[in-house]
Amino acid sequence: MYLLYSFRLALQSLWREKWINLLSVLTIAAGLFMITLTFFLVYNIDLATKRLPARFSVMLYLNDGLSEQETGSIIAQVKKNNAVEQAKYIAKDKALQELKGVLKNADYILEGVDENPLPASIEIKLKKEAVNIASVKKVAAEIKKIKGIAEVEYGEQFLNSLHSIKGMAKAGSLSLIIIMSAGVIFVCYSTIKIAFYRRKEEIETFKLLGATRGFIRAPFVIEGGVLGIFGGIAGAAAALAFYYVLFYKVTATIPILKILVFPLETFPALPAAGLLLGIGGAVIALGRIRFS
Amino acid sequence: MIHFSNVTKFYEKQAALKNITFSIEKGEMVFMTGPSGAGKSTLLKIIYLSEKPDEGSVTIAEWDLSKLKESSIPFLRRNIGVVFQDFRLLDNRNVFDNVAIALRIRGMLDSEIQEWVMEILKMVNLRHKADSFPQALSGGEQQRVVIARAIVGEPTILLADEPTGNLDPDTAAGITRLFKEINARGTTVVIATHNRELYRNTGRRVLRIDGGNMVGEEIG
Repeated sequence: MYLLYSFRLALQSLWREKWINLLSVLTIAAGLFMITLTFFLVYNIDLATKRLPARFSVMLYLNDGLSEQETGSIIAQVKKNNAVEQAKYIAKDKALQELKGVLKNADYILEGVDENPLPASIEIKLKKEAVNIASVKKVAAEIKKIKGIAEVEYGEQFLNSLHSIKGMAKAGSLSLIIIMSAGVIFVCYSTIKIAFYRRKEEIETFKLLGATRGFIRAPFVIEGGVLGIFGGIAGAAAALAFYYVLFYKVTATIPILKILVFPLETFPALPAAGLLLGIGGAVIALGRIRFS
Repeated sequence: MIHFSNVTKFYEKQAALKNITFSIEKGEMVFMTGPSGAGKSTLLKIIYLSEKPDEGSVTIAEWDLSKLKESSIPFLRRNIGVVFQDFRLLDNRNVFDNVAIALRIRGMLDSEIQEWVMEILKMVNLRHKADSFPQALSGGEQQRVVIARAIVGEPTILLADEPTGNLDPDTAAGITRLFKEINARGTTVVIATHNRELYRNTGRRVLRIDGGNMVGEEIG
């Protein structure tokens, strides 16, 4: 087996050009750190939108003058809908009381209003899987058909905007991750290409002595992998520093940032990602090795 | 063992070899001679697959080179030891490692390599120089390292391109003796040289090349 020898060759080469390789490792680390930050952003946006179903509700405003029996029938029909998790009836009086509670010191707005202008309503919570534009639209349309319901309100614009923001953030982040990954591959590609040209004479001799493609490639692929792993470790160290500063220092000043979550799985994933990107860069740099 | 049939090779429309046909049998020791630029090196390069013929066919140890897959080239090369005219020694490795590389390429274990390389270095009388680097060796010593590297893998064919080029007569005679020893073990040896002294009175076949043509054959 020549793998051990290939490792030795790779480590010798890495040590011989230690400063160039250190620069490559730091560049890879910077790239991977940027990828981590982007991933952190997308992760939190995703988490925030996943928390939305618990807060999201659809308001059904009822016609005036419905009897208790008619209201009960409407609630029963609403609950029959498979997407509905729970339905809460809010009587006219309760609605007015809640409004007064919200207005507090601005209750002069209601001065001169003798009759309760607010309609009775039903607040419905949808099942987690039903909180998406298509499903909410469908449920709203179905419920609106129920006799006695005057209006259905679910914040269509808010839901649309949220969906767009989430989509844009995901697309932007994915593009950034792809660009940064390509950057990391390019750094490894260039470093290995330089190493390959530097040892061109030696490689030619190896070929003439009967070396296979595997024997020639192995040290360079190992070099790429080692650069990637060290870049990943340095990137993980930077991410750890970021985590420490954000969650122990910044949150002390801005407590709201405590809602952010940092996926700790990122730390071990970075060296692995570095390894794969490093090997990828090296393989591309070596290309097809010809013997004649 | 080696068969050339109507082989022609061009370099930028200039023919380096013209319609060359010859055969070398297994276990033979053959000299190829001719002036500089006659085509001797090109002929050897075709044998060790560094160059491809433009016309004709070449068979090496029953491998038809025109039908050989590129991925098989390394395995054929392992059967051919080459003493390069420019040595091709690795300057950043010592004598031991320069010879050992031929075995590492074959995937041999370190323990076997150690024993085998020291044995070959003893044969070429360089055991005491195992830790030296090529720059610290004389021309004759460097030549012997190259020979050691060429034969350590026990190839069936040994090619030598001007192996005594810059050596003094005594060292050249020592190198020739070494080739004879290697040949006596059953290895087919082909030596390209313009040095008459090398093949005079050897009783071996001498192929004459001039201007890319095979111009004659004699017994040295």
